[in-house]
Amino acid sequence: MSVKPIATTRSATGIPTGRLAVWWLLASEVVIFGGLLGSYIMHRMGHPEWAEAAVHTNTWFGAFNTFVLLTSSFTAVLAHQAAESGQGKKAAKYLLLTMGGALTFLLVKSVEWTIEISHGYTITANTFWSFYYTAAGLHGLHVIAGAIIMGFVAADAWRGEELQRVELIGIYWHFVDLVWIFLFPLLYIAK
Amino acid sequence: MSDNHHVNYKRVYLWLLALLVVSVAGPFIGILSVTLITAFGIAVVKANLVIQNFMHLRWEKTLAKWVLITSLALMALFVAGAAPDVMRHEGQNWVNVAAADAVDRGVVDEHAEEETDVAVAEPGVFDAVGQFNLICAMCHGSASDGMGAAGLALDPRPADFTDPAFWETRDDQRVKTAIRDGGVAVGASALMAPWGALYDDAQLDALVEYVRSFGPTGQ
Amino acid sequence: MAQATVDVQHAEHDVHEHHGPQGVLKYLWSTDHKVIAMQYLFTGMFMAVVGGFMAYVFRMQLAFPGSSVPGFGIVSPGEYNALVTNHGTIMIFWVAMPVLIAAFGNFLIPLMIGADDMVFPRINRLSFQVFFLSALVILGSLFVEGGGFGGAWTAYPPLSAQGMYNQTPLGATLWLIGVALEFVAFLLGGINFITTLMNARAPGMKAYDVPLVCWMIVIASILFMLSVGPLIAGAVMLLFDQTLGTGFYDPAAGGDPILWQHLFWFFGHPEVYVVLLPAIGITIDIVATFARKKVFGYKLMLYTTVATGVLSFFVWAHHQFISGIDPRMANVFMVTTLLISVPIAELMFVIIATLYGGSIRLTTPMLWALAFIAEFLIGGVTGIFLGASGADIYFHDTYFVLAHFHYTFFPIAIIGTFAALTYWFPKMFGKMMSDTLGKIHFWGTIIPFNVIFIPLFVLGMGGQHRRIYNYQHFPDLAGADFQLLRVIATIALLTMLAFQLVFFFNFLRSLLWGEKAPKNPWNANTLEWTTESPPPHGNWPPDQMPKVYRGPYEYGRPDREPDFWPQDEPA
Repeated sequence: MSVKPIATTRSATGIPTGRLAVWWLLASEVVIFGGLLGSYIMHRMGHPEWAEAAVHTNTWFGAFNTFVLLTSSFTAVLAHQAAESGQGKKAAKYLLLTMGGALTFLLVKSVEWTIEISHGYTITANTFWSFYYTAAGLHGLHVIAGAIIMGFVAADAWRGEELQRVELIGIYWHFVDLVWIFLFPLLYIAK
Repeated sequence: MSDNHHVNYKRVYLWLLALLVVSVAGPFIGILSVTLITAFGIAVVKANLVIQNFMHLRWEKTLAKWVLITSLALMALFVAGAAPDVMRHEGQNWVNVAAADAVDRGVVDEHAEEETDVAVAEPGVFDAVGQFNLICAMCHGSASDGMGAAGLALDPRPADFTDPAFWETRDDQRVKTAIRDGGVAVGASALMAPWGALYDDAQLDALVEYVRSFGPTGQ
Repeated sequence: MAQATVDVQHAEHDVHEHHGPQGVLKYLWSTDHKVIAMQYLFTGMFMAVVGGFMAYVFRMQLAFPGSSVPGFGIVSPGEYNALVTNHGTIMIFWVAMPVLIAAFGNFLIPLMIGADDMVFPRINRLSFQVFFLSALVILGSLFVEGGGFGGAWTAYPPLSAQGMYNQTPLGATLWLIGVALEFVAFLLGGINFITTLMNARAPGMKAYDVPLVCWMIVIASILFMLSVGPLIAGAVMLLFDQTLGTGFYDPAAGGDPILWQHLFWFFGHPEVYVVLLPAIGITIDIVATFARKKVFGYKLMLYTTVATGVLSFFVWAHHQFISGIDPRMANVFMVTTLLISVPIAELMFVIIATLYGGSIRLTTPMLWALAFIAEFLIGGVTGIFLGASGADIYFHDTYFVLAHFHYTFFPIAIIGTFAALTYWFPKMFGKMMSDTLGKIHFWGTIIPFNVIFIPLFVLGMGGQHRRIYNYQHFPDLAGADFQLLRVIATIALLTMLAFQLVFFFNFLRSLLWGEKAPKNPWNANTLEWTTESPPPHGNWPPDQMPKVYRGPYEYGRPDREPDFWPQDEPA
């Protein structure tokens, strides 16, 4: 089933079909995370007493993870640059670095959550923590999904195939980074 | 997308890191408004750098920009519509009593399980009165006289536990069975639902004891 | 159907190298948009039977309370609640959306824009697989211990969040998961439709040359994608409340049940336009064909639809007027709600104006299209009463609301489906349906439909609240005159259900032994009628993909014989 339909190659809008689809995907993800984070913000502003729970999030873990994701976005865009000039193997290597960033992020998160849970800050301890785990967890799921898809794209790129997809998975990855750019101040800084 | 845009990705990246440092440092100054501005203001700036330069939105056709702006605008609309109810705890002729209480109580002890059964006052102690008021009073009335708001609409009406005549023909066992298995199990109306899924044996006894307390004193 | 498709595919074998999997495997692995459309169609039709059966059971209980319902047994209160809940949920998510959007969208969009398939065929297949899984989950939820979820399709917490209240914790969780999976399926599908329409049009096909039904389905997909997000977030929170004991919607824990209401209805209101728009698109395309007339205002309709879509995001709290929202918000939402009736009415007027002066042929599809206009108008007009927040204080949660939304949903989901099916059946299956049986089915559906729901308006005005399993328990509602209305409605439902057998008979008989359909039995103008019936894999030979030279509704042209000018004919 690797024969592409003629339809996929057309572009009445001027935007390549794959990229157009990714923008629509991002729009739908913006409203999902927007709904969740909007709900959190409304609750948090109505419940100042949550500050006592929120103070226990570890800013250093959060900041380090922000650094990791920003770096992985950097490597993702370098992958795109390599793919643009047809260097499939180089693009694949940068994608692998990005996936490494994803893995690091998830590891740090696991350590962070283990510490928090062992102190009794579970998802049911307080509604602040419920939001914390839900928002970061939903984000984490997107990190995992993105990393998996990135693996497939990297494998194709290594063989010099489907290089346009490097840009597409990159855009998705930047979005995952963007969500964290907002989660970080929400959950760690302006708590 | 052809390569006719020149972005120094490394420079953008370094800016992002610098901004990260500033946003982490912000809270140390200790002024809330500064913290909020550095935290969220910088987030917006960082996001913009990523969107324009890494995602290349700067060079993208306008269509994509409109798609994203629309989704953001809708989120703002949602918050604007829901905030008067969710964020605020009082308004025109209404007060969200439960939320106001929660704010006053402060954070619940971190190690307490925020359980689903709201009515339980402390973990481990079954609050029969609380359960009655939560579940039974709707029909039977908080005064247990069969005059609950929902009960007034029913036919036959719910039992009036303050009526001595009721207790002349019922014993504890029958009341317990009615609570656990519903009205049908004791030959009464199906409008009395079975509640056995919620309570264990000891809890049922506690409930019966509370209900019994409305009747003539003494067995 | 399978036979006809295989035959055509074998005939095409010389021209087409690659024609996809055959036989049974076709239904597991095919990425052909037409096969996927069929899968959605038949799943949706099956679920319609399930939803209809549920309606039969609970209406029997209402008309003859306490009696054993043939084919079901005695209906307990818990079962009644599960029936009304799942009837609504299934009809909206597993009938209206898959048939109107996924089935007809999948089938029509590539054909109508002159493409050989959707732009992402494998994601298309994935979307159906996720959808099918969601259907299994929702059906499964009915049979688990405790029974199906009975907290209404709106699933307000705390009833939906806590097993101690809803008594069906497992059913409630599975219900939620089923709905969430359906959302994912339609997000995947939506991206496909939107991208395909935007990008994969035939050479020469400008935006205004696209048939309106395609625009409608795509705008509906956009509305869906932009509105469902907050509800997905809310559903995750509800799931955690149900299974983990979090307190997102528990005021004592710092949560808020009204948040769920806002999250739900922010989606719930655009959702009704998500299903309405395809039905309007189907109607206008059929009306243009059988009035032999150009659409009165193509651009007018398009822009009005976009305006409706935008406005639809601003009206949601009219579902919450008396639930405890701030009364000042109620004022705002009342104004926007009353406003939105204007563009929708305008769409109806454009359809009527298209009819005016046309050369009308009353074929079965045309009858359905006309019925859509008439019945939907009643539904829309009764919505105005509900949009006024003062009146809604009385009407909320009564059968007036229920009759209103059935007068809108039934035209959308049922009339729209039958209109589309009778019109595109020849193209989809390569056979003609019997017009006589079609007309018998039509009248046997429309007349009983009105006899079901007009009494329900009356009952609603009399104060009958919704979601009660036995009105004999309420002295004010138990009178003989009210009960008579309930019985009339139920008997009308039984009649209507009986007439659906005519449709199934017509459908199956035509499928198996119907007269072979020509390429263009209706002398219609759009691209799908230029290829075989049914179209082969790839829709046209790859070297003969259509080019477009004009708009989709060039009907009634006196200078041409026959009286239309197909889009792909060179000038």
